This record gives sequence, C-alpha cells and structure tokens, in this order.
Amino acid sequence: MQTGDVLVIGGGVIGLVAAMELAEAGARVTVVDAGENAGSTANAGSLHVQMQSRFIRLFPDLAPNVEAALPLYRQAARLWADLEARLGPCDLVRKGGLMLAEGAAQMAFLEAKAKREAAKGLDVEMLDRAALDRIAPWVGPQIVGAELCRDEGKLNPLLANSKLIARCAALGVVRVTDRIAQLEAGREGVTATGERGVYRAAEAVVAAAWGSGDVVRGLGLSLPTRAEPLHMNITEASAYEVQHLVQHAERSITLKQFRTGQIVIGGGWPATDRGPRTVPAVRAESLLGNVALAARLVPAIGRLRVIRTWAGMNTTADGASIIGRLPDAPRVTMAVPGDAGYTLGPLVAGMAAALVLGRTPPADPAPFAPSRFATLSA
Amino acid sequence: MTETRFTFDGQPVAARPGQSLAAALTEAGHRAFRRTAKDAHRGMFCGMGVCQDCLVTVDGVPNRRACMTKAETGQRVETQAAFPRLDANAVLPDPTPARIVSPDVLVIGGGAGGLSAAIAARSAGADVLVIDERRVGGGQYYKQAAGGAPLDAQQAEGAALLEAAQASGAEILGGVEIWGAFDGPLFLAEVDGAALIARPKTVIVATGAYERPAMVPGWTLPGVMTTGAAQTLWRSYRTLPGRRVVVCGSGPLNLQVALELAEGGAEVALVAEAAPSPFGRPLRAARMAAADPGLTLKGLSMIRGLRRRGISVRNATRLVSVEEADGALRARFAAPGGQEMAVETDVLCMNTGFEPQNEILRLLGAGMRYDAAFAQLRCIRSHGMETTVPGVFAVGDCAGLGGAPAARIEGRIAGRVAAARTGHGDGYDLFGDQRELARHRRFQRHLWHLHDIEPRPLDDPATLICRCEEITLGEALAGYEENPGHVGTLKRGTRIGMGRCQGRYCGPAAARLIAAANGEAMNDRSFFAPRVPIKPVSIAAILAAQDALDADG
Repeated sequence: MQTGDVLVIGGGVIGLVAAMELAEAGARVTVVDAGENAGSTANAGSLHVQMQSRFIRLFPDLAPNVEAALPLYRQAARLWADLEARLGPCDLVRKGGLMLAEGAAQMAFLEAKAKREAAKGLDVEMLDRAALDRIAPWVGPQIVGAELCRDEGKLNPLLANSKLIARCAALGVVRVTDRIAQLEAGREGVTATGERGVYRAAEAVVAAAWGSGDVVRGLGLSLPTRAEPLHMNITEASAYEVQHLVQHAERSITLKQFRTGQIVIGGGWPATDRGPRTVPAVRAESLLGNVALAARLVPAIGRLRVIRTWAGMNTTADGASIIGRLPDAPRVTMAVPGDAGYTLGPLVAGMAAALVLGRTPPADPAPFAPSRFATLSA
Repeated sequence: MTETRFTFDGQPVAARPGQSLAAALTEAGHRAFRRTAKDAHRGMFCGMGVCQDCLVTVDGVPNRRACMTKAETGQRVETQAAFPRLDANAVLPDPTPARIVSPDVLVIGGGAGGLSAAIAARSAGADVLVIDERRVGGGQYYKQAAGGAPLDAQQAEGAALLEAAQASGAEILGGVEIWGAFDGPLFLAEVDGAALIARPKTVIVATGAYERPAMVPGWTLPGVMTTGAAQTLWRSYRTLPGRRVVVCGSGPLNLQVALELAEGGAEVALVAEAAPSPFGRPLRAARMAAADPGLTLKGLSMIRGLRRRGISVRNATRLVSVEEADGALRARFAAPGGQEMAVETDVLCMNTGFEPQNEILRLLGAGMRYDAAFAQLRCIRSHGMETTVPGVFAVGDCAGLGGAPAARIEGRIAGRVAAARTGHGDGYDLFGDQRELARHRRFQRHLWHLHDIEPRPLDDPATLICRCEEITLGEALAGYEENPGHVGTLKRGTRIGMGRCQGRYCGPAAARLIAAANGEAMNDRSFFAPRVPIKPVSIAAILAAQDALDADG
C-alpha cells in the first residue's frame, strides 16, 4: 500500500495534530493507530504548566529536565488556545491552576517553587487564604493558601479528540486501524509493517507515546519510552463552580470540573498495566485514596457520587520530550512528550511537523533531539 | 400504624409505612421526579435501582433514587435539578465504623438463586453472608411486600424461602449497595452510609437481571416504566402505577403484571405482545408443556384471566412511539398488515426480555460467551456453577436468563460446591439437581421461542439510545461515521454510556449497533469494558471504606 508523503504512527493528540499540520501544508498523510488502550483517549484534560509535586517526588533525578522544560509547557498551554480557535470549542478554560497548601511548611515549599517558576517566565502568584476564598471558597478549612499559576487550564479531551478527528478527515488525512510492529527506513522512504498491512511513505512521524521506543527499535536507537498507567475518577454533574485546575503541594491530586458539570479527580494514582490489548485495571486503593483525598481538600464535593473510574497511560522517558529526526534514519521524526503528553501534544506535534516540512519549529527542538539516547549496538 | 408524611417540592405527601418514595409519589399522582441537563422530565423507569432516572433531592442530599429510598416522616423531598449547587460550607460526615467480613461463602443477591445457595451452603456447615440491595429480600421474582400478608402463592413461596434462609443460620443483610469488585476477591459496599468490606473465601454471584426496554421515541417520558417497575409498585407497595395502563413487549411477565394490575383495580387498556399467538404454534407449545406442565398451565390461566376481564391481548403488535397527550401518554403501535393504532394511557409498561446483571462477574474476569437466542452474554460455568475464576460462582439470571425455578436449583448446587470448597460437606450428589435443571432449561428454551425478544435494529434517528446522556440514535450513527471503531470509541466520541446508569440500557444497544456496522459477531468484547463503581457510589461511602481499609492495614 502506497500511503503517500507522510505516515504518522499513533493517532492520539500528537499524531492527529501532526497529521493536521502536515495535511494543511499540502502533504498526503496516513495515520495508523492501534485503536486500543491509549493515553489521549483516556486523558482527563488538565493543562499542566507548573511543576507537579508528583513528578518531583517520583522521579527526583528527572526534575531538572522538567524545570528546564517549563517554558515549553507554558507555550504548549497557549498553543492549545490557538488550536481551539482553529478547531472550535473544546471547553477550554484558562483560569489557572491552584496548588493548595496545608500548613506553613507547604506554603514555604510552594513559595520557593513559585520563585523558580517565575524565573522561567511562568505567571505565578502566592495566595493566602483570604485571597483564595475570593476565587475558591469551596476548599477545606485546613487549606492555608495556594500557588496560582495563571498559565494552567483545562479542557474536555473527548471534545478535542473528536474535533481533531473531524478536522483531519476534512483535510483528507487517511486513518487506518492497525498496530505497527516494525518500522524500516531506507533511502527511498519508510516501510511500516502492521498486523493487517504494510504502509509505505516518504517519511514517518512516530507519535506512538510509550510504544514509540518499540516502533523504532530497529532504527539504531534505544528510546526509554515507558507507560505509566494512571487512575481517574469522575462524579455526576453539579453546578459549574470549580473553574481552576486544583492540585496539592505534596500529594498526588488533580481536581477539575468540566463545563458540563462533572468533577474529574486524578493526579497520578497508579493503575495496573494488563498489556497492550486491554485497558489497565483499576486498583481499589487508588480509587479510595484518590477520591478520599479530593473530598478532604474540597469537602463541597462530598455529597456527589462517583459514577465512573478508568485508567489511561501517561508516557515518560527521561523527563524531557523526544522530538527530531533519528540520526541513523533521518526519514523518521520522533514526536514523543516527556510527561503530561496531552498538554504538550500540540506543541510537540507542531515541532515535529515543522521539522518534516523544513520550516522553523515553534520552539527550539535541539534540547529534545533523539540523539541524546544511547545507540543500539548492531 | 401512623401515616408517614413528607413534602415534595413543598407539597405534603402521605405514605404508608414501608413505602418507597417512588411509590408514595406515584400514589400521590407525581410522575416527574427530576430534570435532565437538556431540561426534560424524568420519573421512575426501572423501579429497581438500575436506571438512575427517579433521582430526587432528600433533605438537601442530591441524587437519591426514589425507588430505593424509604419514605420517612419529615423528609423534605425535592425535584432533582440537573446541576445541584456545591455547598462551600459542607463538612464531611464523620465516618461510621465499617464492618469487615470474610465469610466462607458470600452470596451477592437475595433472590431465588441467592437464598437457595445460602440455605445449601449453610446447611453444609459453611458460614454464609447474603447481601441484597433491597431492604426486603426475595428478589425480583418473589417481590416481597413491604408489609402485610402475601398477595398470592408466588409471594408466599418467596416468603417461605426467605424464612428458610433466615432459619438456616445464614446472615441476611438488606440495603447493601455493592459498588466495588476487585481481584482477590475484594468487595466494597455501602450500608446506610457505612462501609462493608468483604474478603470472602468463595463468592456466589446471584444478582439477577434487569429488563430490556423497547427503545422507541418517547420511551424516557415520565409514566413509561418497565413492567417490573409497575409490578414492584403493586406487589411490594400496593400502589397502582396509574389508573389506566398499557403493557407491551414480549414475555410472560407482561401477561402476569397486566392481570395483577387489573385485579388490583387498574384499567388495562391493552396488552401488546410482539410474538404471534402461541395457539398458532401448537408443536412448540406442546414441547413447552411437556417440559413443565405446571408452569404452562399457569401461563394459560393468565391468558384466560385476562380474557375473562375483557382485556385485549394483541399478538404481533409492537410499540412504535410514545408521546405526551393532555397529561397522559399516547402510545402508538404497529399491528399485523401495516395497521397502526394509538392508545391513550396514564402508564405504559414495557418489557422485551431481560439483560443479565453480570457487572460483578465481568469485573472479576469471569469468561462469557454470547447467546444469540437470548441476545445476551452467558457466563461460562462448570457443572458446579463455578465460573472461569476459581472460587467465584454464578447462579440464576445474572449468568444468562434461566428463570426463577432454574435459579433455585443452580443456587442449591453452587451453595453445596462452594461450601465444600471451604471444607464443609462434600459437594457431591448433584445428579438429581442437574436433571431437574436440564428440564427447566428445556422449558425456558421453548417458552422464549414462543415470545419474541430478539432486539430489533433501531430505525428512528430521533430515538434516545442513551437515557442518561440524552444521545439519540442519529447522534450515535454520526459518531460512528466520524470515528469508526469499537464500542469504547463510540462511547468516547458520543458520550453514550457515560452517564449514571453506566450503560446498562444503551450498552447492549450500542454493542449491537457496532457489531452490525463492523460486520462482526457479538462477543464479550462487544460490550463496554466493565468498570467500578458497579453503581454510582457516594463520596461519603468511599471515605468510610478508605478509613476502614487504612485501619485494617
């Protein structure tokens, strides 16, 4: 099957935005997606910018990479607003994110963090309880203050995914459901072998999230992409009153309200990976711990019911994104986020698409070059 | 006994002791209980805690199911708004002490199958706990009265079974909402806001079935309810669903409930049965009679009873649509030969078969196969009723429709085998039960062949397919066209199945839609992936469970 100018492997937010940008530039694009358990389709819609305590705690050695990338996150959240303007409403709200503190020690931690973030150009401010009450009166009495990061926001990923799919279809992007097992690159082009077909194109963009390392295994580099299965919960709808993305200075939590009223609770509680063919399993202790923490921070949700839980995959490698052509296979361009892939999605995709098109990327891709990883010995 | 009095939107409502809010409100002439996000009215539909459409606010607590909540004096009941306010001054309730149990045999569901299983397991010497969502056990077939003497032989039989289960020494706990099932197995449940945590040695799932609706335009209007919901109103609470009633769909429950409501004083304007008359198919009827003469006679006497009362039973007649008409409903039917008819009624009851409540089994990973004749999943089981997950048993309709008599036998078998697994009794001598079970299954097969429960492909694009999220067939088809894939793709693209009932009504319909569109055979993966919570769970109950598990280590 001759699939055209560019083959995009992975049909999540990054693959779709990349396909959209390439197609808008006139390329013939095919997107191949496994159509099963994934990150973008299970995403909960936080637009993360400030450093997440979860990441700092879980991967302390990777924190410097995240800090270096802060301007990238800020730019990515802005790009989402541009993207929404092109796609139509995705219930995007950029009122900012609150990181709540319980006690003086946590306030001090947030103050130090806010200084580091401000130095990287983030729009952050420390709020005492009185200031917090003016914008978030629903937090629990034990909350003494918060860091507000105005760059943060939220959106409804189901709407965004649907709009992207529709936009790609309108641009003539071909979408195929298949799982790519192998990618080869030669002088003439690339050949991807799936379970149902073989796909050839002049170039490939690999946007297969945690599966990206496996896809390019034969192309000379060992990319340490890995899946982090995460737990999420959603309540029934209430009146729309929580406008901010809510996090905590120390503990793993994100809480936000969709414009449709449901409250989504997540923030990095683990789920159990059951392999690529089925959805990750929800763990009782994650459900209980995550929701109980949310209710203690925001007691106002205590009368609602949780109606659904699910789990999806976050992708990490070394904390930074992997963007750029493979040194030994320049017809293959990587587009893998370092963390918070949905937030970074449009920017990572925009950078990869620009590299393929020979245009100036929206941000400097040099720090994210795949060449930083070890070469596989033949 | 003194009368119970509460208010509904400020108006006084009287209730009899033991009545549910839904029954008391129905008796007082209220049909609409909540407003949806699209500002439609909804009322009681399933009457058994499944559909989540009869929600009301009780004493400021939103989203309580009127069908599962007992009317109490002094309650302030209000129409449920689509978007209740968050209370900025809310204080989390102090957690009530939780109960942590690890019985030899946990029986989930106190109906025909569950109670029989409990008696058998307890008689063998096992320590048994039965939990049931309803406060009064007996299940949907035996439907016990909230008070008073049994109405008839069926209710008396249930009362006797319940009494035998209590006498066996098994503990029977009502009002338990089981919401979490995890590997182990570990079960998390809520009892009046307190947590119940169960780590049983074996579990017998006996969660029964719920009713398959006729999805037509208007099927979500207040006053349209399942036949079982109307039956619960009458048998459990002595409340007629309305003055004038129409019953439609297919199967013996419709005939039985039509007769019961008529005997109770309702005017039954029409019973529409989708299948042609059984008298036109004598061979099939004779086979059914041979398998179980007693039950066949019972069915015949129901038909005679309806005729004696002059109630019209029209065969080969299907519901087409429902609309509101001057405070009542107008139901349109298609009859043989392209004939159309419209009937005005207060209440339209519908049952077009049953869907197994297999959520717990699927969550625990029990293997399923698709049964095309009943258009549903059947749980794969050993002769001892054990599923493909060791120590997890399934009995009765939750494993695939089989009827109450079969459920009782399956319960007896599973109870003994599960008890033996925990070192009580030998679990042998199942031969007699197996033979009787085979006979009941034969009867069921012939019985349902005389009815027509094969789901029809939906055709009117205006039909709501997802009650909760208010998604029409047209929107579902457009979603599929835009992003073809599996049923999960459709869910994420259109929000079908994302509401409070968790896809119990739209799920099977969406699965059939996708299978047809993709040209695939139906199987376990055609349906939505199973998820916790099994039923919406209050955050207060989650807090209580978390406290208890933390303390338990």
